[in-house]
This record gives sequence, C-alpha cells and structure tokens, in this order.
Amino acid sequence: MTTRASGYFLPGDDWLHRRNPATKLLMFVAVLLAAFVLPPAILVVLLILVAVAAVTAGMLGPLLRSLRIPAVLIASILIVNAFFLPGAPTVIASLGPVHLTAEGILFGLTTAGRVLVAFCASILFLLTTLPDDLLEALVARGASHRIAFVVLSAVQLVPQLQHRAASILDAQQARGLSVQGSLLKRIRALVPLVGPILLGSLIDVRERTFALEARAFGSGRPRTAYRIVPDPPADRIVRWLTLLAMLGILAAAVLGLGR
Amino acid sequence: MNVDWLTICAEGQTEGCIPAVQLIYLIAIVIGAVVLALIARRSRDLSTATLALMPVAIAINVAVGALIVALRLPIYLDSIGTVLVGVLAGPWAGALTGLLTNLIWSILPVPGGAGPTIAFFAPVAAVIGLMAGFWSRRGVFQLRSDDERAGGFLALAAGFAASLVALLVVQSTVGLSFDAADPDSQTRFVTLGIVIVVIGVAVAWISNRTIFRLRPGEPRTLSYLAVATGLTTAGIVFVLLRLLFSSDGYFSTLNGSPESALPGTDLSGLALADPLGLIIEAAVAILAGIAAWRWATRGNRARLFPVWIGGLTTGLVAAAMSAPISAGVFGGVTGSGTDALVALYRTLGLSVFQSAFAQGLTSDPLDKTISYTVVYAILLALPVTVRTMFSRGETTVTE
Amino acid sequence: MSLGAPAGLPDQQRPKLVADSLNVRYPGRRESALADISMTMPPGEILTVTGRTGAGKSTLALALAGFIPRVVRATIGGSLRLGDTALSSAEPGALAGRIGVVFSTPAHQLSASKRTVREELAFGLENLGVPRVEMDPRIDAVMEQLGIAALADREPLTLSGGEQQRVAIASIVVMGTDVIVLDEPAAQLDPGGTADVGVLLQRLAADGRVVVCAEQDAGILGLGRRCLLLDHGRPVALDLPGVTLAPGALAPYGLRAPALTVLAFAAGLSPADAFDEGRVTAALSAAAGAGRLATQVPTTTKALTIADLSPLREVEPASIELIGLVHRYPGGIDALRGVDLRIEPGEAVAIVGQNGSGKTTLVKHLNGLLRPDGGAVRVSGNDIRSRLVSDLARQVGFVFQNPDDQLFERSVEREIGFGAANMGVSDALRSRLVARAIEATGLGEQGSSNPYDLGPSERKLVALASVLAMDPAVLVLDEPTAGQDAPGEDRIEAIVRAWNQTGRSVVAITHDMEFAGRVFGRIVVMRQGQVVLDGTPAEVFAPRNEQLLASTGLRPPPAARVAAALDLQVVPMDAFELLAALRT
Repeated sequence: MTTRASGYFLPGDDWLHRRNPATKLLMFVAVLLAAFVLPPAILVVLLILVAVAAVTAGMLGPLLRSLRIPAVLIASILIVNAFFLPGAPTVIASLGPVHLTAEGILFGLTTAGRVLVAFCASILFLLTTLPDDLLEALVARGASHRIAFVVLSAVQLVPQLQHRAASILDAQQARGLSVQGSLLKRIRALVPLVGPILLGSLIDVRERTFALEARAFGSGRPRTAYRIVPDPPADRIVRWLTLLAMLGILAAAVLGLGR
Repeated sequence: MNVDWLTICAEGQTEGCIPAVQLIYLIAIVIGAVVLALIARRSRDLSTATLALMPVAIAINVAVGALIVALRLPIYLDSIGTVLVGVLAGPWAGALTGLLTNLIWSILPVPGGAGPTIAFFAPVAAVIGLMAGFWSRRGVFQLRSDDERAGGFLALAAGFAASLVALLVVQSTVGLSFDAADPDSQTRFVTLGIVIVVIGVAVAWISNRTIFRLRPGEPRTLSYLAVATGLTTAGIVFVLLRLLFSSDGYFSTLNGSPESALPGTDLSGLALADPLGLIIEAAVAILAGIAAWRWATRGNRARLFPVWIGGLTTGLVAAAMSAPISAGVFGGVTGSGTDALVALYRTLGLSVFQSAFAQGLTSDPLDKTISYTVVYAILLALPVTVRTMFSRGETTVTE
Repeated sequence: MSLGAPAGLPDQQRPKLVADSLNVRYPGRRESALADISMTMPPGEILTVTGRTGAGKSTLALALAGFIPRVVRATIGGSLRLGDTALSSAEPGALAGRIGVVFSTPAHQLSASKRTVREELAFGLENLGVPRVEMDPRIDAVMEQLGIAALADREPLTLSGGEQQRVAIASIVVMGTDVIVLDEPAAQLDPGGTADVGVLLQRLAADGRVVVCAEQDAGILGLGRRCLLLDHGRPVALDLPGVTLAPGALAPYGLRAPALTVLAFAAGLSPADAFDEGRVTAALSAAAGAGRLATQVPTTTKALTIADLSPLREVEPASIELIGLVHRYPGGIDALRGVDLRIEPGEAVAIVGQNGSGKTTLVKHLNGLLRPDGGAVRVSGNDIRSRLVSDLARQVGFVFQNPDDQLFERSVEREIGFGAANMGVSDALRSRLVARAIEATGLGEQGSSNPYDLGPSERKLVALASVLAMDPAVLVLDEPTAGQDAPGEDRIEAIVRAWNQTGRSVVAITHDMEFAGRVFGRIVVMRQGQVVLDGTPAEVFAPRNEQLLASTGLRPPPAARVAAALDLQVVPMDAFELLAALRT
C-alpha cells in the first residue's frame, strides 16, 4: 500500500468541509485541551461530540474505518496498564508475576480514552481538510510560506519515496538479492535496499534546488497566493466561540471543577 | 482562597492536586512553543538548497521509520534525515526537520504508523536535530584521521569514565542512598553527586590540556581513538555482564519462584558468585575490548568513535525528553516494538515513568548511535557536488 | 501577443545575454571546467550546445542560469551579463524570474509541492509576488501557446516524462523569463516527447527569448541558429549547426556526425542547409545522378573491440517465450493485451514504442518482476511462474534505466561484484567475472572510486557491468544509451555484439531508432500493449510502415527516411549504408 499525497482527505461539500481550516484547527485544539485537562468523565461527552460532528458531515464511515490505525496502540495501552501498572493495590486476578488490577484497568481506560478522542478529532479534521488548504490558510495568518513549502513537498515526496523503494527492491532482486529467509538474512538485505534510497534521493536534491531557484523561490520578494481558501463570515464567529470555550475549559481545570 | 491543589500529586494520590501528567504537558507545550518561535526566526535564513533538502529528509525519516515500526524492532531509525540536515545545514534546520517529520507523519496515512499520536514527540525530534547540528559544529562528522579536535572527544570520554568510576567507588564504599524522610541522606546524596560530577569535569579538563592536547597531523590520534573504542567497549560489556550475571544481578531474580518474571524456570545458577564471577566477567569484557580495539585499528574505523559519542549523548537526551511524554500521554505504551521493553521493566518493579525512561535509555542511545553511523556513511558516499550545496557541507567528512 | 513579459517591458526590448572570456573552476580542481567562452546570445536565437560527457555543458548551463557562485560553489572569471545585470554578482531578487533553467530528469524539474499543473505554473508567479488577478490570464496564455492546456488539472507527478518537461518549461516561461537554458532536456524522453520539446523551443525563440539548449539528439541540435561545440571546457566551434556538426569538424573530438550532415557533405551541399531534409534529399539525388558523391567522408567510428564475453559459469544459452501475455495494473489499466513473442538464443532484439506502450511492463515479465495476469512466460521452455526473481537472476540479467536505484557499495569494484556474490560463485571466479566486466565497460581506472563520485553516464555503465559480472544467459537492458555520448554508445554497441557472439541473446528497450537499427538484428514495435511490428530493421523501417510507426510516436532513422524519399529499394540504417547503396 502506498500513501496518497492528499493524506487522509476525502472530498466533500458538507458543513465541516466548508469551514476554514484555521477554524477546524482551533476546534481540534479545544477538544484536545478538554480531553487532557478535564476529568476523565468528560471523555464520554467529547466522544459523543466528535461522533455527532462526523455523522452530520457524513464522515462516520471513513472515521470508523480509520480506527484500525490506533487499534494496536489502544490495545497495548489497555493491556500493558491493566496488567503491569506498578504499585496498584487492588488485584482482581493473578497470572504468575502478572496481576490484573482495578487501578490498572481504570488508568488504562483513561489513557486509551484520551488517545481515542485525540485520534478521532484529528482524523475528522484531516478527513475534511486538504493539506494544501490548511497550509495556505496558515500562511495567510502569518506562517512562513517557505516552511509551508517544505511540508507540502514532503507530503508529496513520501509516496514518491515509496515508489522508489519498490524500484530499488526490483533492481536488487534482479541482481540476485534474496529478501526472504532468516531474520539475519533480512537484516543484511537492508543495506542494499536502504543505501540507494538515502543516497539516490539526496543526489536528487541538487536538481530540485536548481528547479526551485529557477522559479524565483529564493528571490526574497513578498509572496502572493494562488490558492483561495474560503473564509465565510460564520467562521469568524465560530472561532471566537471556540476561543471562549477554551478559556472556559482552562478555568474549569484550574478551579479544580469536578474534583 | 484555597491553593492546596497547587501541589503535584504523589504516586497513587488523585484528589486535590495537579497530576504530574498535566504539569508535564504544560512544560512540553511551553518548550515546544519556545523551540517553534526560535525555529521560525531562524528559518528565514535557510537557503533554497536547505529548503529543498528538508522535504527529502522528512520523507526519508517517515519512510524508514514506518519500515522499522512495521518490523516491530525495539528501535526507531526515524531521525536519520533529521541528523543529516542538522549536520549539513545547521542546528535550526535540523530542529525544524525533526519537528515537521513528526507533524507530517501524523497527518499521513503511512502503513505501520501509529497515526496522529506521533505528533506528541515532535519536541524530542526537534532537539535531536539541534544536537546533531551542535555536534557537527564540534567536528563529530568532519574529523580527518589525524584531526586535532579528536582530543576533545577523548577528553570528554575520559571525564565520563572518571565520573563512572567515582560513582562505582562511592557506591561500594559509603553507599549512595536517597531517603525522602532523612535530610542527612539527602545532603550526602547531593554532596556526593557534586563530587562525582566535579571529578568528571576535572579529568576531562585536565586531560584535554595535557595528554589529549593533539597537534594537527598527529599520528597518535588514530591509535588513541582505537584504544578509546576498545576501553569503551570493554566498559559497556563489563557493566552489562554485571547487571545480568552478578550475584545480585538480573538472573539472580529468576529463581523459578512464582513471583519472578519466568515462573518455573530457575536461571539463578547463572548469577555467579564473586570472585569467580568477577574474574569471568572482567575477562570477557577485556576480550571484547581487545576485539573492538583490533577492529578499530584497521583503516580509518577509529574515526567512528566521536560519531558514536555524538549518537550516545543525543540518545540520552532524547530518552530523558521522551520518557515524560510517553508516560504522560500514552501511559508509557506506544504500540511499537518498544512496548515489550516497557512491560519487561514494569515487571522488574519500576514505576510508569521509570519504566518509560528505562525503555528510552535502552532504545534511544542505540538508535541514535546507529543513525549517526548511517549518516556518517552517507556523508562519505555523497558526491562533493551535492555536499557543497549546503552551508556546512564542505567541512564534513574528507578522506 | 505578449506572453508573460515583465510589466512595462515590451518583447522587442528583451535583453541579450553576453559572455566575455567566461571561466569557471570548481573548488579543489586544477583544471577549469569551462574556459574562454565569449559569445553574444541575442533575443530570439536558439543556441545549441554539444560535446562529450564532461565537456562542460552542464557547467555552462549553471553559469548562464546565474547559479555560479550563488547556488553552486565555484569560482567564476570573465563576465556574464544579461542586459545591464552582471549574473555572478547580482542580488538574487534582481534575477528572479528572468532566467530559467531545465535539466534532464523530468520529475525533478517541478516544485513537487503542488496538486495540479495549473498550481505548479502559479508557483513561480507566487514567488515573484504577481497579483492574484493577473495569474490566471498569464497561466492560460502560456498553456495555450505551449500546447499543454489539456494538462491543466492533472497531478504533476503523475504525468509522463515528456509532459513533465513541457510543464517545467511552461512554469518558467510563465514568469516572463528572458532567457531559458536547457541541459539535455530530452535525454530521458521518447521520440514523441523529444519532438514536442523541439517544437516548444522554436516557439519560445519566435517569442523573442534567448534559448540555450545542450543536447545529444541531432534533431534538437539542428534547430539552433548556431551550435557550440565544447571540448574539455573550451569552445572549439561556434557556427551554423550544419558547420559545427559537419563530419570533418566532429571527427577530432570523438563525436559521431548526424546522418543528415554526413549526407550533405557527401552530396556537396552547403552546410547551412544540412538540417533541411528536403534539400539534402534533392542534393543527394542530383549528386548521385551525376556521379559526384564524395567517396571519402571523415568518420571517427572505429569499431571498438572488447574482450571475449564467453560464459565463465555453467550457463546454457536460453530461449524466451511469451505466450498470450496479459498484464493488468491495479485500477484496470491493461498494460499488455496478449503478447506472443519468441526470442531465440543469440538474437539481439530492440523493443521500441512510445512511453506507455508497455515496453517496460513486457521486459519486467522476463525475470519475474511482474507476474502475468494471463498467458505465460517460458525461459528455456520452462514456465517461470513459481520462481523467485533472485533465483531467475542467474538466467536473466536485467539492467535498469536508473542506476541510482541500485548503487550502494563503497567502491565500483565491490558494486560490480554484488550480483555475483549473491549468486554464491567462488571468490576466484567472481574476481575474474568482475575484472572482465570492468574491462568490457572501460571502467578500468575507476575500480576503487566511490560509484557516486562518477558522472551519471558512468554510473549507468557500473550498473551494466554488475549484471555482466553475473554472467546470465539472457541480457535485458532498459534504455542503455539514454544520457550516453557517442563513445558511450559505441561502448554499449560493442558489448551487445560481443554478448551475441557467445550465442546468448540481448533484449533492449530503446528510444534511439538509429541505434536500434544499427545494432539490433530484430526490432519489435509496441503500441498500446500489443506488438504491432516485428522483423529486421529493414522490414520494420520500410516506407510502407511509416504510418503505423507514427501511430506510436516513432519515425524511421533519418537515413531510411531520405532513402524512402529517393524511392530506393533498400532501407539503410545510417548515412554510410545509404551512400553505399547510392554508389552501386
């Protein structure tokens, strides 16, 4: 499987797609803030919020499908903490040196819940936002367009590099390199495979630099933008509301609400 | 106004305090913001060649990193590109590459990746880039076989070794215990700590000005580096063997009892009693050291010694930074090959934070040493026409 | 109409580019990479540049683009001015958008950060700070002029090489560039793509720009108003292309004269008309009729002989059989639609056709890199369905187009021995195989160098040598001559011939029809995943096939075209064959 240069993005024209990327980014940060500074009970509320947003934007299917990405991580968090949380007193069951503890389960659930909320919110953001639009929106708000170039170019080069890795595998197999067999054999095969990936792509940097210089990339003049990222008036209101909500979350956390 | 909640939670305490976790987030966010601001300031000076290199380096990080995650190896190898940019284009470019690698990895559906969660480690990646730039400026990657600056690295290693010896001496004579309830033990702990550090610094400083004061073209340099490689290898092997095989080492805990990590398997016979154990362990360590020394005397291999110092120190810093993030955000678990190590350390009785740190201490120095070595090999192979496009390219490795 | 000219600067006022005793030296080198270049390049002129690999063509391109010393570290002497601006000391902003440069690898000429061709074209305008409202009209005008309007919404990195090169040129032209410098822009393109680039250069010159283009392709070189010949960094000729590229002028520098200039010389035609196919034909016809054909044409083509390549391992020459081969790429694209082909031991087969006709897909089946979706592949009569690529490598040696996809060892010698080592041959045999491969490829002096310190054409020879050293039964080459100069091409020709002499077969993909016709005994023409022609060069390039060839972007070699225009019964592959036929 190769990575697409548009990342997780799926085209669409629902209310979430139409938001300015900066608005969505702010909302995402607000959810993240709430998940990590408010008491664990809020996680349920946040999950429902994210789910409602996904359903109304018609993105529930893709969101659920993408959950296989953190599945291993969440399972690891639950298992390692449930059985290996140090110093947890309430043992529920024992298996040799391994103890299933109540505190471990609770700690595992809390951590897994936070990761789940963070993941779902970010995926929903990425499903509905094209990287190009996000960066152009950030550049319009004062971010460096040179760094935006680095990000967009890297996003395009990752799939290119994966293609290249496939050709290198072909070329070395055609020279008799065997990539099957014992672990030691496979580790030895890494050098002829990784070596050309690194050196080949670094050598290309020379021509890439020339191409950029030929397009006045190093001219130092003020830049204008071609891509137009819509910013409806409603977005402005949403952004202010989100900022207020973030202040509220911080205040609640500091005042120890719910403790 | 009640300000009791302004204390940090003790282990197990949950009410009326700030969980250590949240404090760590706050610190991480502040550090991240400061690094970001500094990078943004410096990024205006980046040349076109550097900006063309950075996407390639990021793509390399993500592609190789994803491969390693997929293979479930207990290392990462996701900072080869970061180190390379730090070396060729300076610390700030390196920091930016590291930062962006983790952010981009989190927004790309790369097979084998843990998804957006990897973004939390972005500050660590940034510091790795900074350190690579720092070490490159100190000449780690640009040593000729007879470069006079090798003395600095030898002195550094000597100082580190002296501290280690001092620590062992203190440990085996007066002991080095820390008891939170006993102010006396705390004072002694701090005093001894300072003494140990001072000994290390003094040895490094003095040796740098005497024995390791090398002139350019000094033929001794290469043999010094080879000897240092041998001694370091012997030292590391000895410590490892002690940890595993000494009478109170790891294998002594595997006595087959139900509480041990491997119930029913009695391996405590492998815990060798002194002095026989000590002699065997020392002998093995010395043999390993001699082998390493012999290996390093051939060709220019001894030049790798400073590279490894750079890698090891970067790894230590990375471990120190990622442990709180790993413990705080993920409960120490990241869904990759390193989780097995975390579980292992927890069964050995370490806390959430300690086991995350111990895992980092195991994986990171190894990982960064490998990465630095790979970068060194790349620099050797990279044509001059490509290297000289970057601000520091001309001064890196020359035969 | 005025296309992307900088505001307030009408086309006729475009500045000229003037070099005065230009001298370039790279750090750490004693020899100058470029010396004593003095010339004036007025707007509206195409200047073509030729010379052997390493003669300084790329350095000239970098210097004319204003990249020395700002981007590429080197010392520059003499002067180089665009209008009133000295290139070597100008502020980066002063030259921004005024000079553009395009190199040979298509994918690297793009910004690799844009989602559509239209945005790619806007990239330079963004950097110049052109107001948003002006962008679309300028982009539309340039796409219209350069004939790439149909590509506007395509993803740049998914285009073919020829399309990418045209987009790269357009993205420079749209900035209102006064000078456009190209360094072997067609080296990796198929004949159709090369022709498109040629048309584009003429349009740019007609629009009043300075166009400088270094090339090996005779068709492009002939487009120049003047042609510069470089040798060891020094200019040895700067004249009409017909004069610079005349057989007598090229012979001392080890370059092969284009077929048309050879014919013009033999017919006694003025060199100025040497690239006019019609006039050459007429003059030849007149000269042959009057018996005035020159008998002696200067040539450098000394047959290069290389060592005997007889098998050192136990290898039997193998036949290859493709039976109803079908291959479908994910997404339902039929790359191969039922190919039947039988290649006997000792044959030399060239596979030609435009990009996307299925050539590479076809040869990747020969060593199992791709598996058939229908039909079968048999090597020596055995179906290779279940065999591993690494195992088939003993029988079928495959040399890839891009050598950088495989080089990783620290010396050329070790790199060449990599394949042999993988096969587990004895150390003694391996060193014999490696030594022989190094000798055959002429890399003798480079044995201990780092492969990446060699130039691209030498790196290609290293990749070829590493497969020769495996001593397979069949040799498969993908674009062996791309980026090679005439001596490099002769080297590959010699290897193909020596290989055939041992009774083993060679299969090569190539875009160079002259090379295919001269060296290979059999040519297979592919179109849309099918074999449409298969026969000897004379059969394939016969006049009756002209239409069929054109449908897959090909033309017969120039000598065959001239022979067809003269209604000759023979189908010659090069100028000398044609002359011999005319004399009888």
